[in-house]
Amino acid sequence: MEIASTEYAAVTAYDELLDHSLKPRSAAQPFFDYLNSLDSDELLARREAVEATIMAMGITFTIYSEAGNIDRAWPFDVIPRVMGRSEWDPIQAGLKQRLKALNLFINDLYNEQRIIKDGIFPAEVLEGSVNFRKQCIGVTPRFGVWAHVCGTDLVRDKDGTVYVLEDNLRVPSGVSYMLENRQIMKRIFPEVFRTTNILPVDDYPTQLYHTLAALSPRPGDQPVIVVLTPGIYNSAYFEHSYLAQQMGAFLVEGQDLLVGVDDVVYMKNIFGLQRVDVIYRRIDDNFLDPEAFSPDSILGVPGLMRAWRKGNVGIANAPGAGVADDKVVYAFVPQIIKYYLDEEPILANVPSYLCMYPDQCEYVLNNLDKLVVKPANESGGYGMLIGPRATQEERDQFAKLIRANPRNYMAQPTLEISTAPTLIDGELAPRHLDLRPFVLQSDKLYATTGGLTRVALRKGSLVVNSSQGGGSKDTWIVEDTSC
Amino acid sequence: MLARAAENLYWMARYLERAENTARLINSTTDVLLDLPHGATLGWDTLIKVAGLDESFSKLYKTANEDSIMRFMIEDERNPSSILSCVKYARENTRTLRELLPEELWERINSLYLYLKDNASHTLSSRRERYIVLQNVVAQRHAVVGLISGVMAHDLAYQFIRLGRNIERADMTTRILDINFAVSIPKDMPLYEVSVERLWMSTLKALSAYQTYRRLKAVNVTGAGVIEFLVNDERFPRSLEYCLKEAESCLQAMPFGGVVLSSVQSARMNLQRLNATDLDSGELHELLDVTQKELGLINSALATQYFHAYDDPSKTSAVQTQQQA
Repeated sequence: MEIASTEYAAVTAYDELLDHSLKPRSAAQPFFDYLNSLDSDELLARREAVEATIMAMGITFTIYSEAGNIDRAWPFDVIPRVMGRSEWDPIQAGLKQRLKALNLFINDLYNEQRIIKDGIFPAEVLEGSVNFRKQCIGVTPRFGVWAHVCGTDLVRDKDGTVYVLEDNLRVPSGVSYMLENRQIMKRIFPEVFRTTNILPVDDYPTQLYHTLAALSPRPGDQPVIVVLTPGIYNSAYFEHSYLAQQMGAFLVEGQDLLVGVDDVVYMKNIFGLQRVDVIYRRIDDNFLDPEAFSPDSILGVPGLMRAWRKGNVGIANAPGAGVADDKVVYAFVPQIIKYYLDEEPILANVPSYLCMYPDQCEYVLNNLDKLVVKPANESGGYGMLIGPRATQEERDQFAKLIRANPRNYMAQPTLEISTAPTLIDGELAPRHLDLRPFVLQSDKLYATTGGLTRVALRKGSLVVNSSQGGGSKDTWIVEDTSC
Repeated sequence: MLARAAENLYWMARYLERAENTARLINSTTDVLLDLPHGATLGWDTLIKVAGLDESFSKLYKTANEDSIMRFMIEDERNPSSILSCVKYARENTRTLRELLPEELWERINSLYLYLKDNASHTLSSRRERYIVLQNVVAQRHAVVGLISGVMAHDLAYQFIRLGRNIERADMTTRILDINFAVSIPKDMPLYEVSVERLWMSTLKALSAYQTYRRLKAVNVTGAGVIEFLVNDERFPRSLEYCLKEAESCLQAMPFGGVVLSSVQSARMNLQRLNATDLDSGELHELLDVTQKELGLINSALATQYFHAYDDPSKTSAVQTQQQA
């Protein structure tokens, strides 16, 4: 398989698999040896087999459009992203450290607010937060943990440094694709798993189950766990049903649950009502409970907040956990880690300018052509300005938005995020990617081995979201310490 | 198990059974039509009559010929009982049930859907192609049934699948038996006897019962014999007796099956009283009509008892009492 060397010559980003002379990095060497043993017809045949497998396995995501909702096959690239374990281990430690601190932070915000009183975190940031839920004030969930499942987006800059780009603490998705990507690779390239020591990823559903089971208000072996989905038309429905299946949990919709006069959550079973102990909810706060939040929600369950506040049901992630999933809060995470854990952050934050501070706002407005500007509470890559790629008109438009609501915007220097060789038109071409590991916390902390690698399939594109033309790759953490 | 899941399982099984039955019916009808004498009124439109779809067909198509009827029965998604629609609904239902079903099952049903979507249009180009595609639908559906019986736990979810399959199967058998009501062969026609025999043979073939009938019942194919066989035989899995007995055993395996169970039992008892020898085609039609209504009652009993029992929030407190008891 040929490396698209002209395309590579034009890209100055760090490449995950190839060094600057286009030689495989040591962790990726065995994979390239294997790749070279296949002729290009063989590789293309296997890629076709991958596509057939994806269709048959029904690994899809849903695109919303005017013509109705269409299930699209998950776009998958057969070239894995490879990282040595010696590099991964500290990242994993950093991810756990970060989630632990964030959970202490959320619990503090809903209770004493020591961090504000101690002058570390500005009260006005909290006041401007759309994800702070006053309905949650005074609650301490089990273990003081609010965000039980976190999807942390990591990127690597030109010099090789790995940065945290954002912490997704509301309903992060993608983990099922991480698991399925590995299944596909094992089906299509079984040989390479013999020659390379690739660490497995398939313990995630078990770990998720234990994380959730620990939240049960009733001690016992077999808590009743449900995955609460908005339904079949949600873009992540595949994942909801996949995780329910993998954990042996019930997949329910709001209409399947009710809260009794005893403030206990029940599920409508064929022979009566069955008590629900833990809800892994995959719907947003606003739709959870029409009594407490958006009254016109038909996705949620009336009375759910009552049941949760009384400690009659565990909800993951807890309502209100999204307060720390905010691009302005993000800028404070290094201080948050120091404040609660008295430790230095292991993972780097991207330097951030907060428009709420006049001097930083001025800097942002004067340097829009160099910066990426993000709204505080959007996800999925929506509502962003990538300064260097925008037109003057777009930048002027954005400057107006920022002046109108400075609290809602933050800016970061444009990172030159790393690439990896990706099979495009029969060649290995550089495509930009990120990495989303998943971190779990209840009584214990756990982080996936690797995570979901998302890749921007369009040449030069930095947008990896599947809703906007992104694909994914299997992520290999390979043993490199013992040998 | 969730009430909604039980309902989806039941309908998933019905849709799959309907898809297979329709595929079989089309193939056997093609086969039979080639043998019938000119002048007999059995034609392609019998297919839509059997399915009870003549009205919705005539809303969508101007002429009823082989082409339009095949399009309507096989690939028209506007017809909720077309093979493609059935497989599509079964797939959608399966998707909401993945946590209850063996992993492979979703892949199988998904593959069946993809196969049919790619090939449904080929069935219109030639009878030969149509035969092959429909045979493949039957075969792939059988792989699904095999997985269900061989890999899935025989738990409640399984019982709802089995129940749906047998109720749908019974429904199809009543419809196919009813074909004879729709067909008349003039008594003065040459070879009248032979033609009538062929007609009953076609009834057997439409239910893949011909060979079994000859082996278990009689070599001669007579109206009374076929009716008796398809209504009362305890051994043939598509007879009404067999299907209803299966449905009974599913319900016996379920707590609170009583209400539904008694409606199945009464349908079964009505049929056991049948005396096929004295029956004319009008009476047969009436009997089958009653049976279809009873099958409908079973459906609504299931809905009240299991699927929609707690939809009414005012029932909540009563439900909790039931659970504590």
